[in-house]
Amino acid sequence: MWWKALSIVLIIYTILAGMLVPLKSGIQRTEPAFAKAGADQTIRFYGYNTFFQKASDTPVRVWLYYDDRHALAASDFQVLNDTILEARFRFPGQLPEKKESVSLNALIDHPVAGAALLPAAVYLSSNPDSTGNTGLDSAWTANPVEQLHVQSGFSFPYQNVIYESIRNTYFHVPMWFVLLFLFTASVWYSIQYLRNPEPENDRRAAAFAETGLLFGALGLPTGMIWAKYTWGQPWSNDIKQLMTAVALLIYLAYFILRRSFDEYEKGARLAAVYNIFSFASLIPLLYIVPRMFASLHPGATGNPAFGSQDLDNTMRAVFYPAIIGWTLFGFWIAQLRIRYQRLYDKALGLD
Amino acid sequence: MNWKSLFPLLRKEFILEFRQRYAISGIVLYVFSMVFVVYIASIRVSPPVWNVLFWLIVLFASINAVVKSFVQESGTRQLYYYQLADPVLLVLAKILYNTLLLLVLSTLAFGAYSLVAGNPVKDHFLFALVVLLGSMGFSIAFTFIASIAAKANNSATLMAILSFPVILPILLTLVRLSSIALGLIQDTAYMRDIINLLAIDTILIALTFVLFPYIWKD
Repeated sequence: MWWKALSIVLIIYTILAGMLVPLKSGIQRTEPAFAKAGADQTIRFYGYNTFFQKASDTPVRVWLYYDDRHALAASDFQVLNDTILEARFRFPGQLPEKKESVSLNALIDHPVAGAALLPAAVYLSSNPDSTGNTGLDSAWTANPVEQLHVQSGFSFPYQNVIYESIRNTYFHVPMWFVLLFLFTASVWYSIQYLRNPEPENDRRAAAFAETGLLFGALGLPTGMIWAKYTWGQPWSNDIKQLMTAVALLIYLAYFILRRSFDEYEKGARLAAVYNIFSFASLIPLLYIVPRMFASLHPGATGNPAFGSQDLDNTMRAVFYPAIIGWTLFGFWIAQLRIRYQRLYDKALGLD
Repeated sequence: MNWKSLFPLLRKEFILEFRQRYAISGIVLYVFSMVFVVYIASIRVSPPVWNVLFWLIVLFASINAVVKSFVQESGTRQLYYYQLADPVLLVLAKILYNTLLLLVLSTLAFGAYSLVAGNPVKDHFLFALVVLLGSMGFSIAFTFIASIAAKANNSATLMAILSFPVILPILLTLVRLSSIALGLIQDTAYMRDIINLLAIDTILIALTFVLFPYIWKD
């Protein structure tokens, strides 16, 4: 069947592209992260996936910038190796805005690796000794950020804290999509069973629920590994983690219920009823309750969906095929389960 | 649907309870024992713990009060009702009765618990509203689950495992609302939570009306 082949192709594509495409270059941290106005200071930049030593006709440029109009270019810099760069800044005596301190963003532009950005890299505090003139120092506007290079080729965005684990987006997130699709299919066949009590409808409902549970069992640990890496611990009582665990409990209870009756028809009917009931109570679980509590998940405040601002076009090119691939794969597993159960029931003479 | 038969059905529930007084006495004793056990185990508790323990007492008392809804009458008598009454009215009568029962039990639990462990409630009106909403939500969900569990052999275990996951959104919202009533979190926009709770209740009761006829017919 064409869609089975497609699912395999898409999953192989997901694994290859998801694992092999490099990250964009980024800045991990700066040292020191504090500076005083009017000082002359050397700041060390630690890059990630940067190629400072890669020779090119246009040189590397380094800025600390405050906003669109206020930027400070490094007066001089020295490349120590591919990922460490020391830049010298002559900080003006005046801050770009009349404040006690401002946070400056770091920007390194490289002709090959493209522009790398670190928000709030350096805190610049005002210096009362050097406050002479009240106007803006022209040093802030002399070297604006312009003509940035864009990295050529296929790459995933660099994000601090997440780093390479951004690839988990193609494995962890699709599991929940597939789970929801499979549970929806399961409920559909439960409704069909109540309308028309054929054993086939019950078999399908059970098989889709089982496969959905399998994907839940895969989505939970992949999320926990990711959480261990980014949030520090595998289980942080995040509301979405709790709700997921509860959703899985519901479907485990569904299987207990199915087996609790001596008569096949009674068990199938009551399990179908419970399936519909619990699926409908899953909707508040997944959509209402997570909005009420703070969550560590992306897009948490008010919107439990995956934030579209977190995906760039390169990630979309892997993420959407991943969802389609895993979904087709899930339905394939469910189909095998249905066919197995059909043969099993036939052998026992139940059907 | 003949709405007039709702009142005889409701009356039947009260008469049944009155005839089997040991059952309701058992539940009331259960609430008092549980309050006492919780008190002995924790003595003086901080308001956040008080809040959680109170709702746990109410949760377990509710499950035990509702689980008997469908098992206290014999199968033949259920067959008799099946021929007389509309299943929707029958389950509605049970839900209304259970709401009332749970309201009484929660009030008793609140009285007994605040007697021994102190009463940290700041906003009494909101707390009363939360208890009312809680009784409603618990009654709807547990009555429906009890009707499923009653068909199985090990109904007590089944009742617990089927209802806990389903009740969780309601319970979380209740605990959150009552911590507002206790002054633990400052949130003036709790109206949204109340609407959420009512929305969940509406979904559950609509599902009960649609699905109960399928449980009922045997």
